Amino acid sequence: MSVSDETLMAFADGELDDAARAAIESALKEDPELAKRVARHVALRQRVRVAYSSELREPVPQRLLDAARRSPAQAGPATNIVNLKDARDARQREAAASDVAAPRWRSLAAIAASVVIGFGLGYASRNQGASPLVRSADGALTAGGSLATALSTQLVAGQSPGSAVHIGVSFLAKDGEYCRTFALSGAVRPSGLACRHGEQWRIESLGQSNDAAGSGYRTAATNMSSQTLKAVEERIEGEALDAAGEAEALHKNWRK
Amino acid sequence: MNTSETSQNIHEEIVLLLPRLRRFARNLVRNPHDADDVVQVAVERALTRSDQWRSEARLDSWMFKIVRNAWIDEVRSRGRRDKVFLGEEAGENVGTDPIEGEMTIMSVQTAMAKLPEEQRTAISLVLIEGLPYKEAADVLEVPIGTLTSRLARGREALQALLGPEGEQV
Repeated sequence: MSVSDETLMAFADGELDDAARAAIESALKEDPELAKRVARHVALRQRVRVAYSSELREPVPQRLLDAARRSPAQAGPATNIVNLKDARDARQREAAASDVAAPRWRSLAAIAASVVIGFGLGYASRNQGASPLVRSADGALTAGGSLATALSTQLVAGQSPGSAVHIGVSFLAKDGEYCRTFALSGAVRPSGLACRHGEQWRIESLGQSNDAAGSGYRTAATNMSSQTLKAVEERIEGEALDAAGEAEALHKNWRK
Repeated sequence: MNTSETSQNIHEEIVLLLPRLRRFARNLVRNPHDADDVVQVAVERALTRSDQWRSEARLDSWMFKIVRNAWIDEVRSRGRRDKVFLGEEAGENVGTDPIEGEMTIMSVQTAMAKLPEEQRTAISLVLIEGLPYKEAADVLEVPIGTLTSRLARGREALQALLGPEGEQV
């Protein structure tokens, strides 16, 4: 039976009527080659769908929620917005009015807040004698020892509360490098941002976690110093990586 | 159901659609910030015209169409489409260097970004958003035969870009 590719595609998409579908189904049983072609369509459909599924879990910016909940009368002249410049201007006015509430910042914080990490006891006792965690070379700071190892190999999804280094968020920076925020356990809880530069993790920002006094579980966002958050916000391109994106980046050895 | 209940519902139904509207807009517009701006414009337009929505029609299709029209208007009003696409396509080729070609796993997103816009929107509506052909054709304002041929060409191109891994899963 000769079947056009468009018919097979429609079959895979569930678009055929009963009679046509039954005809294909019986042909499939006798023709492995046909079955293979259908499987290709189904697999591609699934692959594309899966690849885009994580976008649905991203937090929606407040301004869009507000726009959807506002009645047209309340929106006033804004309902006549026909170009992006007006929308952008309006957004900037809103952002200026609420200061810290820039959309990108909000969504980053929301992502980070979803990554709950916990802190164990001091790393100092476990790291004595090991190679230094931060090295200075050519005027730049780079990660060494267990910090470098964690940055290269540790996935947020798999880290245990007791590990010495905790990774907060990973993202692709505007210059194409992968960057990750980290926090070390211990009394002073140093935290910072490192970006992959060649074979090294260059420390872009280093500070003390906000909540040095606290203990137990908290979110990745609250563990970052404001300095680190600012460094993240300056560099981030788009959104932070999700678990799959992080795993893929690790698989590629943090090279784009 | 009285009018105020209906209008209350449409607000919350649009809220529920926002993640999908953003995702569709990103496939259309590609710059995520512009995409959100387009969604915002579309939501505001939809609410001013909510009386035009027939409740037996799918709200998602109706909204996708408004998103797409908002973007078309934007492109027309600025005449900047060529500039935007040239700039982005130049950047997209980074990382597909043939030397590391074999080792590089091209992501579905990267492959999608390489498709012509008409194929990308067809794939986006049918494969990602799950619209029936008829609804997708209506959103794009093309005959169903045009939609299916764009879809077929888009799939073929994706399969070629993504390689045999697309056959596993």
